[in-house]
Amino acid sequence: MADYLSLTNEEREEMLKVIGVKTLDDLFDDIPSHLRVKNLNLPEGKSQQETYEFFRELAKKNNVYDSIFRGAGSYDHFIPSVVKNIVSRNEFVTAYTPYQAELSQGILQSIFEYQTMICNLTGMDVSNASHYSGATAAAEGCLMCTDKVKKIVTFDNINPDNLEVLKTYLLVRGVELTVLPSKDGKACLDTEEVFGGVYIESPNFFGLIEDVAALAEKAHEKGAMAVLNANPVAYGILKNAKELGVDIAVGEAQPLGLPMSFGGPYIGYMATTAKNMRKIPGRIVGETVDTEGNKAYVLTLQAREQHIRREKASSNICSNEALCALTVGCYLSAVGKEGLKEVAVASVSNAHYLAKGLEKKGASLKYKGEFFHEFVTVTPGKAEKINEALKKANILGGLVLDNDTILWCCTEKANKKSMDKVIEIAGGVL
Amino acid sequence: MKTIFEISREGKRAVTFAPLTVEEYKFDEALERKEDLVLPAVAEVDLVRHYMALSKRAFGVDDGFYPLGSCTMKYNPKVNEEVASLEQFTMVHPKQDNDSIQGSLELMSDLSGALCEITGMDAITLQPCAGAHGEYTGLQLIKAYHKDRGDDKRVKIIVPDSAHGTNPASAVMAGFQVVSVKSNDEKGVDLEDLKNVVGEDTAALMLTNPTTLGLFEKNIEKISEIVHNAGGLLYYDGANLNAVMGVVRPGDMGFDVVHLNLHKTFSTPHGGGGPGSGPVGCKAALKKFLPNPVIVKNGEKYEFVNSEKSIGKVTGNYGNFGVMVKALAYIYTLGGEGLKNASQTAVLNANYLKAGLEDLYPTEEGRHCMHEFVCSLQKLKDETGVSAMDIAKSMIDGRIHPPTMYFPLIVHEALMFEPTETENKATLDNAIELLRGLYKKAFENPEELHSAPHTGQIKRPDDVRAARNPILK
Repeated sequence: MADYLSLTNEEREEMLKVIGVKTLDDLFDDIPSHLRVKNLNLPEGKSQQETYEFFRELAKKNNVYDSIFRGAGSYDHFIPSVVKNIVSRNEFVTAYTPYQAELSQGILQSIFEYQTMICNLTGMDVSNASHYSGATAAAEGCLMCTDKVKKIVTFDNINPDNLEVLKTYLLVRGVELTVLPSKDGKACLDTEEVFGGVYIESPNFFGLIEDVAALAEKAHEKGAMAVLNANPVAYGILKNAKELGVDIAVGEAQPLGLPMSFGGPYIGYMATTAKNMRKIPGRIVGETVDTEGNKAYVLTLQAREQHIRREKASSNICSNEALCALTVGCYLSAVGKEGLKEVAVASVSNAHYLAKGLEKKGASLKYKGEFFHEFVTVTPGKAEKINEALKKANILGGLVLDNDTILWCCTEKANKKSMDKVIEIAGGVL
Repeated sequence: MKTIFEISREGKRAVTFAPLTVEEYKFDEALERKEDLVLPAVAEVDLVRHYMALSKRAFGVDDGFYPLGSCTMKYNPKVNEEVASLEQFTMVHPKQDNDSIQGSLELMSDLSGALCEITGMDAITLQPCAGAHGEYTGLQLIKAYHKDRGDDKRVKIIVPDSAHGTNPASAVMAGFQVVSVKSNDEKGVDLEDLKNVVGEDTAALMLTNPTTLGLFEKNIEKISEIVHNAGGLLYYDGANLNAVMGVVRPGDMGFDVVHLNLHKTFSTPHGGGGPGSGPVGCKAALKKFLPNPVIVKNGEKYEFVNSEKSIGKVTGNYGNFGVMVKALAYIYTLGGEGLKNASQTAVLNANYLKAGLEDLYPTEEGRHCMHEFVCSLQKLKDETGVSAMDIAKSMIDGRIHPPTMYFPLIVHEALMFEPTETENKATLDNAIELLRGLYKKAFENPEELHSAPHTGQIKRPDDVRAARNPILK
């Protein structure tokens, strides 16, 4: 058994003597003896070698696919070696939240740089230091819109997981959530209702690019705010949140350097306009000076936060996803503007190639609209069968939505060869 | 130090991608981004040097003693990092078919079982991504429980005045009102005041035990009786579980719902502010309200299933899976005895540190502390003008991370020390010597302490300026 402790028995005895007790047990004399637990029913401790071997065996019960054509919220992008290398530095990994600015400038600066990159990507004025995930960032983004009117409007073409999280976060606060039907897969803000905010995803769950600007304008006409959830890779080539006129930009930043990891840890990005600066939840790093006038970074605008305001705080969030923010910052620095554009263009081009190839084999596209790197095919009664056939070749096909439809995704990791194989195998089923 | 944008030069780049193998797809210009995308342009070597320099301006538990109270900054074992980075864990899509994710499901099921055993709970969700997220989830379970019984008037959460700020903030996020209960002379819950505030509108009392003072709440059974008799539930904030693993279980103390911080008690690193993981355990009566999906074992296979009465989902997938791997590796390495030994040693280290300081830095008298203790520097401040902040900042010059300052709010000029079990005696002795020296210096040369740290990366920052004239990018 390994225990990671660093005391000898002699030292323990010495310490007990200094404290003035005979046994370790004496230190627990405040705990009523009838409440004490005898032993925990857990497996006996292991050596580090056995732990390593145990987990290596357990891991083998998962399958790693050779190529992946599934997205729906988690994306299989190439992660540069330099990113993995930098974020494994122990100074970053083993630090706590940077409360003590005088010995945390490195972490604070990394978050400040992350905030800058998120602002530059989205065009927004203020970014927080991160949220738990894209889904929770979306939910808290919607809560920011409910000061006056406790109602949020969204559409039935958003990611179903995100919708579930929105429901959990909004309903418990007495905020009504209206889910409007989409038309041909796209959002349609056709309502007489008064609402505090509209929540839009673009690209939406089906991969389609929404007319966000028009939706945001409609919301503004009604005195409401617009929250946009976008895959950040899309901002490499498509109009950003500011150009589209939205008030709050949120999303899942996992595609920017984080592995799929069975769904987490991920990172929600969250940014807004200057007007909403004091409403945004979570940590924010700001630049200031020290007593000698040198540049310094600190956690700031803390009057919003739980440790100061308690029940009056803008949110309860405390720990967020700092190491993931470091990863995103590092990824965006590594690929730069050109690289992000290349990732976006390759993902989009591959997706359009695959869609065409599948169409040639008899699948049809469910929606007509412009799509980014995800699209839905219709193959009556054959959806599961296509995926089963792909699986035999150790390929993870798209997400089966029902008997007939599949939601596909391509990233820059796909290429003509791997897609031709998918097309051929799917063609064999069709 | 320059920012990555300041060292950026147009025309440089660090990473290249495979050339396009299919025809390039072009969007209509109307969809395209017009605003220039400003991202760093650096070569790989520039990138590495920049982040290496940043890492040298950070301080982790691998750099030195980190007695940050309430945060349990114990050593983070490296084998846990290695197994969590196995390709079969990191390269798996969350929406893969069931038979290709049996390893992940078994791991989550095993972790749930172990955490139930450690806390004395019947069921658990691993979905919450951090401690406060766990609080929020646990309170939603409580809300659903009362609602399901048709008891709609339970709108209040009782929170001690010594509680973490996340407790009242989470209660509001979960749609409750907050009522404060006073502390008694022993800094535990004042039973008379508790009797006054409980009633038909009480949904639950949130409590840490050991309390935020690092003391075991001796009246826990009476508190449990008062709250339960009033029809309320008892919520356990697991921030301080590191004192009592294998010693006493929240479930046996009368708690109905508990959240844990895997990034504190179970040795997963904190990453400079996350990712964490905040599992929530509950008694059988609340099981059906846990977030969807939950894992069940059906024959030899593990599966996700949904419960109709679930509060829904609290995040997009299943929680911070990568963190769960590390926590289970920790639990399996230590085993039941090892966990108990860890808690006992954490308490030993805290009491030893306290014994070496308490004649100068007064704390609650006459009681052993648990895994942490709180000193009041009010007297020192009255006599010398040197504050808790001054002492904390001076510790930086001794290469020790400061303790938690000015918390809990019921102690004036508070410093909260939590050494954890993984520190050795020499480290504790060094900290005692440093702090005793600082006490002496407070009388001899208070100016030196007011202006500390002297060897930090910066001098004290101007927080007021940062908030008044925000520069956030």
